[in-house]
Amino acid sequence: MAASQTDPEKLLNEAMQAWAASVQSLVESGAKAVRSSEFLASATDLEVAIAETPSDEVFRIDKVTVSRYQPLTEVRTDVPPVLISYGLFGRQTMIDLQEDRSLVRNLLSAGVDVYVVDWGTPTRADQFITLDDIIDDYLRSCVEYLASRNDGKPITMFGICEGGTFSAALAAAQPQLFAGLALAITPIDFKGDPDNFWPGEGFLNSWISNLTEDDIDLLIGTYGMLPGALTGAVFSSLTPVTSMTKYNLGLARMDGNEAAILNFLRMEKWIADRPDHPGAAAREWLNDLYRENHLVKGKFKIAGKAVDLSNIACPVLNIYAKQDHIVPASCTRPLGDFLSDDQYEEIGFPGGHVGVFVSGKAQGVVAGGLVEWMERKLTAAGAKGQPTETSSRSATKKTKTRAKTKTKA
Amino acid sequence: MATRDDGLDAMMNIWQESQAAFFKAQKEVADSFTKALSQTGQGADMAGSMAGNMADMSTMSGGVKAWQDFIKSWAPGWDPSAMMGQPNRTNMFNMGRDDVFSMLDASNWTQFAPDQLRDILMSIANGPRFADLAMPQVDAAGAWREVLDYQQATADFAKTMQKAWSKAYEEYSKSFTLEDLKAPDPGEALDAWLAAANEQLLDIQRSPEFLDAQRRMLRAGNEIKARQRDLAEQWSEAYQMPTRTEVDDLAKIVQELRREVRQLKRQLAAQ
Repeated sequence: MAASQTDPEKLLNEAMQAWAASVQSLVESGAKAVRSSEFLASATDLEVAIAETPSDEVFRIDKVTVSRYQPLTEVRTDVPPVLISYGLFGRQTMIDLQEDRSLVRNLLSAGVDVYVVDWGTPTRADQFITLDDIIDDYLRSCVEYLASRNDGKPITMFGICEGGTFSAALAAAQPQLFAGLALAITPIDFKGDPDNFWPGEGFLNSWISNLTEDDIDLLIGTYGMLPGALTGAVFSSLTPVTSMTKYNLGLARMDGNEAAILNFLRMEKWIADRPDHPGAAAREWLNDLYRENHLVKGKFKIAGKAVDLSNIACPVLNIYAKQDHIVPASCTRPLGDFLSDDQYEEIGFPGGHVGVFVSGKAQGVVAGGLVEWMERKLTAAGAKGQPTETSSRSATKKTKTRAKTKTKA
Repeated sequence: MATRDDGLDAMMNIWQESQAAFFKAQKEVADSFTKALSQTGQGADMAGSMAGNMADMSTMSGGVKAWQDFIKSWAPGWDPSAMMGQPNRTNMFNMGRDDVFSMLDASNWTQFAPDQLRDILMSIANGPRFADLAMPQVDAAGAWREVLDYQQATADFAKTMQKAWSKAYEEYSKSFTLEDLKAPDPGEALDAWLAAANEQLLDIQRSPEFLDAQRRMLRAGNEIKARQRDLAEQWSEAYQMPTRTEVDDLAKIVQELRREVRQLKRQLAAQ
């Protein structure tokens, strides 16, 4: 029964003992742990392959490349080609983690022409690349290339996380390039709704807001870049117990299940491959966007002009995760405040940040929802208001209760 | 009546006297520092490790006692016994290339520093600079103070987290004991313990106390890293290698040129 210690040192001591005991007892008593360990001991890195869907590089600007994925089916939709842009805090390989959990494969199977931006591996030689360079130069060049390949017609952009913010900003600055804009887990209002964050939500927002501009300048100035290792450590600390238990209790509970362990290892491989973020752009991302919330305040500039999100002219689909601990739903959904009701739709995915792409459930809800939206809104038939077969699938329509842009200081 | 030559002589005298006074003062400072650092009579050449602005340090050797004596020479009232520790690291300056970074690791000197020491180091680090007087003690004091700050910041951060762990166990122990976790089937107790730990850790990570400790720890860590960068620059310069600042300058120039070229291309294409 309950121990009745009040001495803080004794309490802490017991807490640490409890922690050690909980891990130890499971490892000692569990054949499950042994089975997982056996499999881990025999697995090789080559077996943990990710991003295997074949593609060909078709465009390059500095270290940034665009690859076209080879079609998987003869069937073709008439939706404009899709350019997918992840951010620079992780690799785009997340959208093609494994064969049965691949956004890319799902789109290809639906007959969509898929292109993906790879930001390369920035080094300190790239530290002076700004958000303006990334958005108005690199991403814009990629989009213009694809538009030229599409007979000069606008394309479909799918931006993910930081890549979604880039995409939204570019779609506002150069609306003529876009036939449709889909976003996933994308920060728009970098403050969100802190009064209503659930436990574990919005740590990034509050942690970064708590730093001074000088703290961030010192960090970036010292390293030149925002080190990927540091970003990874911060992400891990957002979910402390999960991070502390994944290599012991987590693996033990997989009970030697090879598929589950391989899924886990693929995810680990993706997480471990975290590039450094160009310093100047990271400084703006943290100071101007996270701390000052310039995007929703209309103060964020591209090519010297303030970005007005209401300039986005194409249909927009915004996919958010209801249990997203990295980009709270209240940080992404305010995009709707800038757009007309018939222009803007949402899908609220019942899962976490990365789960939007790698969970089994996401393959139908997210990939299926995206295809359905494109066919309904971006094809000739869809644009005439003739729903396609897939349009009956539910995309959780946004309720129209939003007030015009509520920005937080 | 004074002649023009007399005036010149007077000026020369003033100049010579001031110069003599300056050199005397410089010698005293150098003597004091040299004496303090050579007390142990052993230790390798420190000049290589501090490089750059450390002029002729070849006779100086280092050690814990030397540093303590040095600090005492600035602040006679300071009690070095308050921070004795890790005597096995007394010949840390024998480690060649790694000396630079060892200098920055105050764990070689002490676990925790009294505020008095921090104040002393601050007064040295923030003291006036002289154009023609090498003052290695200023950089060394700054580096030492920064490591002490980092130690303090990490200790404060750990203390904050310890509170969360203690509270988690307090919550857990309302229904379970430590023995429950050691039982053959600890499943229920384990889940309860993880839930309690998760709740408290998430709770503390939103607290002002955590935010403050986290910010100070990040800041202190970066200050040390920045100091390492400065020392590395001095090394590079001393050995005719490109410094990071120089390479950064080139990277910046290249990036700016790229921007200009692309803007021009766009302008041309639009014509």
